[in-house]
Amino acid sequence: MEAGLSAGRLIGHPVRRREDERILRGRTRYLDDIDPPGAAQVAFVRSPFAHARIGGVGVPDGLEGVFAVLTAADLEGRVRHLPVQGFEGGEVSTEGHPVLAGDEVRYAGQPVAAVLAESRALAEDAAELIEVEYEPLEPVLDARSSEVTMSRWHKVSGDVEGAFASAAHVVRASHGLPRLAPVPMEPRGTIASYDDADDLLTVWVSAQDSHRQLAGLANVLDRPEESIHVIVPDVGGAFGSKGAPGPETMLVAIAAVMSGRTVKWAEDREENFVASYQGRGMEADVELALDDDATIVAVRARIWADLGGYLMPTTAIPTHTTAMLMCGVYDIQAADVEIVGKRTNKVPTGPYRGAGRPEAAYFVECTVDVAAKELGIDPLELRRRNLIRELPYETALGWTYDSGDYERCLDLAAELVEPERRSDDERVVGTGFGMYVERAGGLFETADAELLPDGRLLVRSGSSPHGQGHDTTFAQVAAERFGVGLEDVELRFGDSKEVPRGVGTFASRSVAMGGSAVVQAVDALKQKCEAVEARLGRSVSLREIAVAEPGLRASARFESDLVFSSGAYGAVVEIERATGALRVLRLAAVDDAGTIVNPLLAEGQVIGGSAQGLGQCLVEEAVYDEEGNPTFASFVGYSLLTAAEMPPVLTAFVETPSPLNPLGAKGIGEGGAIGTPGAVANAVADALGGVRVDPPFTEDKLWRALREAGS
Amino acid sequence: MRIEVEINGRAFEGEVEARTLLSDFIRHGAGLTGTKVGCEQGVCGACTVQLDGEAVRSCLMLAVQANGRAITTVEGLSADGDMHPLQRAFHESHALQCGFCTPGFLMSMEAYIREHPDADEEELRDALAGNLCRCTGYLGIIEAVGRAAREMRGADVQRD
Repeated sequence: MEAGLSAGRLIGHPVRRREDERILRGRTRYLDDIDPPGAAQVAFVRSPFAHARIGGVGVPDGLEGVFAVLTAADLEGRVRHLPVQGFEGGEVSTEGHPVLAGDEVRYAGQPVAAVLAESRALAEDAAELIEVEYEPLEPVLDARSSEVTMSRWHKVSGDVEGAFASAAHVVRASHGLPRLAPVPMEPRGTIASYDDADDLLTVWVSAQDSHRQLAGLANVLDRPEESIHVIVPDVGGAFGSKGAPGPETMLVAIAAVMSGRTVKWAEDREENFVASYQGRGMEADVELALDDDATIVAVRARIWADLGGYLMPTTAIPTHTTAMLMCGVYDIQAADVEIVGKRTNKVPTGPYRGAGRPEAAYFVECTVDVAAKELGIDPLELRRRNLIRELPYETALGWTYDSGDYERCLDLAAELVEPERRSDDERVVGTGFGMYVERAGGLFETADAELLPDGRLLVRSGSSPHGQGHDTTFAQVAAERFGVGLEDVELRFGDSKEVPRGVGTFASRSVAMGGSAVVQAVDALKQKCEAVEARLGRSVSLREIAVAEPGLRASARFESDLVFSSGAYGAVVEIERATGALRVLRLAAVDDAGTIVNPLLAEGQVIGGSAQGLGQCLVEEAVYDEEGNPTFASFVGYSLLTAAEMPPVLTAFVETPSPLNPLGAKGIGEGGAIGTPGAVANAVADALGGVRVDPPFTEDKLWRALREAGS
Repeated sequence: MRIEVEINGRAFEGEVEARTLLSDFIRHGAGLTGTKVGCEQGVCGACTVQLDGEAVRSCLMLAVQANGRAITTVEGLSADGDMHPLQRAFHESHALQCGFCTPGFLMSMEAYIREHPDADEEELRDALAGNLCRCTGYLGIIEAVGRAAREMRGADVQRD
């Protein structure tokens, strides 16, 4: 075959994004940009109480412009509660989130009724007039004191008792990471329309993929999957929060079936803060046993997760991830880890960028620094003595790290960050490091490659973008493997009737899984093209092949075990003595995501993830007051970092290819959010002479800690 | 109430309720959905448009307040031909990911660098602090705006 003119090596190049021009010219189409004429607009009546019994719901007559008001009673027999996903070795409650609350509400913001009206304004007006009788109950707000366990996992491996009994040093520390809101700039939203004649339900949803939405809708609405068509339009960020469909999506879908109207719900910011699932919210007591030469011989951890009022489909998953990563990047032969997920009267938690990995990295890395301080060893030296060096490596907890060079990451981070420790009358400065290993990939992903009549390549992917740049990275992979130019490759995503059944974009899995499926599909199509060429007996163009054999197509379903990205982060911070104000002076981010397809976009992921990690350190915390009311229902109560506060981020990649996929790729989507908090927390403790504080590092906390450090 | 406005050089008229936000009129009345709404509280900046050349948050204004005035939205930043230097710089510096905040950044910063062509990085960062982005971590945006400002200054010098 004759290769396209611009064909060549594309993998590994900082190709600028093909997505950009459409966005920059304002030609995007997010959920709320779709305006079906005559659609009923939805506003939810949400609980103002953290915990209450519902006596009844009263709907006044003659509400202006209102088509219908739906309550739990109207949905009886039409929907199930949302399904709950369990995990290996876990005891997980099967009681999922109701679509609308029945006789009890368990968090402020829980949907109780839905108003369908001519406009969102009229729907909101009417929602104010719905009379719900609440009998307030005592809320439970602290996971450790909650009496209801919704998930539990416990594993003991190796002689933990013996190791602690004979250890030269035992180090104990407690840490906590508060709940965070994912805050995609585009809130959630769903449009549904039902065709009675064909019994076809079409659902447009702002989501991380089409097929998990499809599966969730089919389950909750008890409909065959063939009768549902899910379309994911442009998506304005997700960070985990648009993975499994929530109760609002289910309501919109069933309302379309019941009313025969097109129904639209475009979430507003306040709803997104109070009702979208949150991340983190874990506390841990961690113990390390070390021998004479500071080898870590055992780890013991008890972890509490504040899961909220119900289990959303994926609420329990991050707890498993945290527990399984409690050996970190260290060669620890014995481990005893228990994690309990507790019910509290808050919005449920779920996967938020990192999804269990930042918690594990934070708990392990902060405890390692406590150990270094207590043993009088340099924290870098203690890490080097204990790093895993031979890979693949099976941890005491049972995951196999496929590849990595942890020491190289640490060395590079130390070199890039240029450690400093100083103190004068006005400021204290300190340096800290945090390492991480993250599970990425896993399960399967799909792709379908087709030779178009004009000789161009069309690739349909089961993976789905929401800002990552799949249209560029997947095109780089497809074009290089097929031997054509980028402009000859077209990608399609996010339509359940068009793309093959896939898994989706989360857990830093798109390139390793989706990219590998693209490789396999394109390679298979290329073989078919070569067979046609051989049959024709001469060198021909792709267009001629398409003419000789129309409709050439190949599909792939790529499956693999988990891959494990890793990295080392370093931070230098400065604290002002008079106020306790924290400034992060610089951050070094070294990540090993295996082969990097596009270093520009990979760095974009690292910097973006680091900004979320820094936000968690500096300003972010979803605070509930003593009655369980969210105090973070707007950007006034929940701040994000701005451009003015972003420090320099010095990035570098170590590329140890994964042996588990044809690209050698691991994952880069979450490293920044995972590595940053531990590094900054250890830098803060270094500046404070060893005094430990948990994020967010507010002026108040640090001012007090400075006084403690000084006394 | 009846209003008449000019958007990107085209006249639009429409019937609005007194409470209709300018952002809703632009998006749903005029059908120009390039302008995004991220918070309706005037904090995130995604809905920024220009009113007679000045950057404003269209979620904090009522449609009736724009009556008789000229609005520029992201769709009007460059005509159908070449992209504006700021748009090109965003592309070059990977200053956008999901793209939802991007129109607001463009409309805020186009006005800012037009009025402050010599702003240094510190000033640009402060000016950017009125717009929120959750994807990029801002470093690409800071680089892009600096790049565009330099290019636009260069163009001025050539014209002189």
